[in-house]
Amino acid sequence: MTVTVEALDELVTALRTVLADDQILTSKTDRYNRARVPAPFPVHRWSERLPDLAVLPTSTEQVAGVVRIANELRVPVVPRDGGTGLTDGAVPLRGGIVVDVKRMNQVKELDLENRTVTVGTGISMLKLNEQLAKHDLFYPDDPASYPCSLVGGRIGTSGWSLIGSRYGHSRDLVLSFDHVLPTGEVMHVGDGIGHKISKSSSGYQLKHLFMGHQGTLGIATEATLKLFPKPEAELSPFWAFDNYDDAYRCVGALARAGVATFAGAVLFDEWKVAYLRRDDEAYIPQPNDVRALVCAVMYGYEDEVRPAGKRLFRIAKDHGARYLGDEISEGDWAARHDRYATPLHGRTKAGQVVPMSWHCEDAAVNYTNLPSVSRAWHEIVADLRRRTDVFDDWGMFTYTSGSTGVDYLTEIDVGIWEQQLDDRAWEMWVKAKRDIAAVALAHNGSISACHGSCREGEVDLVPQELGRGFDVMLDLKRTLDPNNIMNPGKYLLDRAYETGPHA
Amino acid sequence: MTQLDRPPGAPDPVSVPFTPGMRDNPDELAQFGDEIARDPEVKHDPTPTEEFTEEWRNASYNCFSSGHKFCREVCPVMQVTRNESWTPTAFHANVVAMDKGELSIEEVAGDYVNCTQCGACELRCPNTLFTGDFYRFRTRTVDVVKAVRAFAVESGIHQPAWKTWNARTDDKTHEPVLGEIPIKQENVRDWSAGLDIPIGGESVLFVDCEAAYYRTSVPRAVAQILQLAGYEFGLMGEQWCCGGPAAEMGYVDQAQRFARHNLDNWRSTGTKRILVLDPHDYISFTEDYPKYFGEEFDLEVVLVVELFAELIREGRLTPSVPVERAITYHDPCRLNKRKGVWKEPREILRSIPGLDFSDVDRVTQWSYCSGGGGGLPVEKPELTAAISASRLEKAAALEVDTLVSACPWSERPLSAAGEAVDIDVVDIHELLAASLGIEVGGTTNGSANGSAR
Repeated sequence: MTVTVEALDELVTALRTVLADDQILTSKTDRYNRARVPAPFPVHRWSERLPDLAVLPTSTEQVAGVVRIANELRVPVVPRDGGTGLTDGAVPLRGGIVVDVKRMNQVKELDLENRTVTVGTGISMLKLNEQLAKHDLFYPDDPASYPCSLVGGRIGTSGWSLIGSRYGHSRDLVLSFDHVLPTGEVMHVGDGIGHKISKSSSGYQLKHLFMGHQGTLGIATEATLKLFPKPEAELSPFWAFDNYDDAYRCVGALARAGVATFAGAVLFDEWKVAYLRRDDEAYIPQPNDVRALVCAVMYGYEDEVRPAGKRLFRIAKDHGARYLGDEISEGDWAARHDRYATPLHGRTKAGQVVPMSWHCEDAAVNYTNLPSVSRAWHEIVADLRRRTDVFDDWGMFTYTSGSTGVDYLTEIDVGIWEQQLDDRAWEMWVKAKRDIAAVALAHNGSISACHGSCREGEVDLVPQELGRGFDVMLDLKRTLDPNNIMNPGKYLLDRAYETGPHA
Repeated sequence: MTQLDRPPGAPDPVSVPFTPGMRDNPDELAQFGDEIARDPEVKHDPTPTEEFTEEWRNASYNCFSSGHKFCREVCPVMQVTRNESWTPTAFHANVVAMDKGELSIEEVAGDYVNCTQCGACELRCPNTLFTGDFYRFRTRTVDVVKAVRAFAVESGIHQPAWKTWNARTDDKTHEPVLGEIPIKQENVRDWSAGLDIPIGGESVLFVDCEAAYYRTSVPRAVAQILQLAGYEFGLMGEQWCCGGPAAEMGYVDQAQRFARHNLDNWRSTGTKRILVLDPHDYISFTEDYPKYFGEEFDLEVVLVVELFAELIREGRLTPSVPVERAITYHDPCRLNKRKGVWKEPREILRSIPGLDFSDVDRVTQWSYCSGGGGGLPVEKPELTAAISASRLEKAAALEVDTLVSACPWSERPLSAAGEAVDIDVVDIHELLAASLGIEVGGTTNGSANGSAR
């Protein structure tokens, strides 16, 4: 606990001026369950990451009220949406107040003419799309955590979407939002000041600044989103290859083809196929000669997806692909959100099945650097594995990030036997993360394309990646959050307060 | 293939992909020392908490290590409270925290009230969806919730309304479904007045307490349909509560005592088969009793909804009186989600002439619940009401005038919520009886002390 009992009483009393009693949670279970995200976690140090309390506001005004009080009392504030983030944005490092926005989950306005919807940021994409389906519309932000991550978390992370090559990612799909600044002031931020504007040249482009900050610059409370027609047809062929190189070349060719309905392509490397093979009996049989897999995804109208599919099939065939058939293709793509959550079958080198947490490290890397990054990352994990069975290599995915194939999200999946974590194992892991990030930078990549990079390990290299840009981050942080109350300790932003009047 | 050929220059077998545990892996793999991983410490004099977490540690870690919370949006309690402390993942995380010495049973017990044991979370869990139970690691949240509640009771931590409720049930051998209105063992068959049903026999119709005392139209409909089909059956001599609610609330000894009584009573009347109309009883008899008694429990358990569908298929029942209603069907959690029974109720409804049936697929219904299970209405009636209201909102969107259920325990809260949106809640057995031209009688609101005269 970071605040004293007396200070906590004062805080609760102050919060009661803006919230009802059932919106202020102080019990131990309430706090423990808001310290945890899916990323592996030093469970033996759980108690170091607890908030002092959690609040469940229902409106922008209430969020603003809470932040204003926190700013006056100098209490840390950590926004929590779905709590599915992998860079620990929602994990409190200095106690304080967790602002849990899950009760702000209403659809406020559906504009069928301009094709937008305005929602509370506590709604999940799945629940939103259930409501939009009645109007043959959908909101195509499609993270692996689609069923349970929330719009606000997508904004705070500037998340990456599995079908972003066609529809764009969160930053493209979120038109504007209400945002509570660290002082408790409320602003509306979009391209320009637009509510439903998708492109503006007016003023600085502030929207990006207030996305992906992992809660260090405030809290998004209500967002206006861009909508698309619900796709009539989906085509998601999976192809098998007997070697990685052909599969790699195939993905590049698919992405460069410039097919308009192309929503993404995914490459599974040899380690990933070996990992999936562990599940042969349970899931999809992978014949012995399969060493790599490629999946392409197209969305659109039936009469545009069909010919586009023919073209991509032709490209795949030219690269030595073997089509795995409709059943596997459709089933595997349909399971895309579940497949990422493939816990429980971590294995020791000897083969014992043990409960392991799934974790992935990601980076944005240019196409030409993918094979080299892949080799270097596997070697880092192999080294962990040589030393202990706490770590398991679950292989790598590479996804197109955009429609032209310039750069890719690439991730390595690592199983971590969390029950066995201790300080030594944790230190080994943090160092591995640092090394993984260093490889990405050495290849002119970015540390993260997907999850953010504010966690122990990778965050150490963020100043190196951004250079002078990191100092701009510090300047902005100091200006917007003079008392360092928003998610303190993240992104090395404490450095903003090390000199000058706020030290 | 389990092992890619090791390329020249690769230092060891860990540097190339391999499938751990395969027989043809190189021996070197088993020879790496381990700097960290150790067998779990065996405690020689474990505390009750240590004993408890020893048993449940891995089950909860299987959820904790996933942590993806796909379960959350189908959890009925979460849907209405949006409180992450009351989610399936939290129920597992608390056990992990107890295992780490961070939380105590005193601190967590109250949170575990907030579960209807509907089982939606288990179905939506990637651990189940993705690999089935291949690794025997299926997430079993319902069992974890029951276990924590039992551990709480064992530790002397009681939820006030549950404690009273179980004490009263123990006193009367029946659940106090009518609140302060006294009911006794001699009232247990009042619902069947005038139907002339014998006691005992090979097949016995077991009538849950809610139906026997509160919604007496349901067992009356069931009994008369069986009679119409010429299906021979009797009633129990001394029917006690099935013990299911006590088991759900953590009162394990009481649950087992009641179960023992019922089993002995069936034995005394030569019963071989139990007919069940209540999904909760169906869970008790197909899951709890076999756990308590093992092979000693050799009775056949027949769910009457399934039996009726079969009788209709065989032409032994032919619904012919048109029922002019616009309906939708509420899949009871314990039938659809927990036992996979969803076809037969729909078969019955499709056989009834006159119905305008707006069906919702059974998977969509994973996120629906009445809120009436798992003891929730006893301890937190306001949550049950909110969950029922949410269910009725979904029915109202289909522009129906009637919501059909197949679970007596769901019907009281659903009916109350139905009043707000002007939707009747009717039991599937009653609806079938009406279409078979049966004048059912009985009550749907516990009036006249539950008797059906």
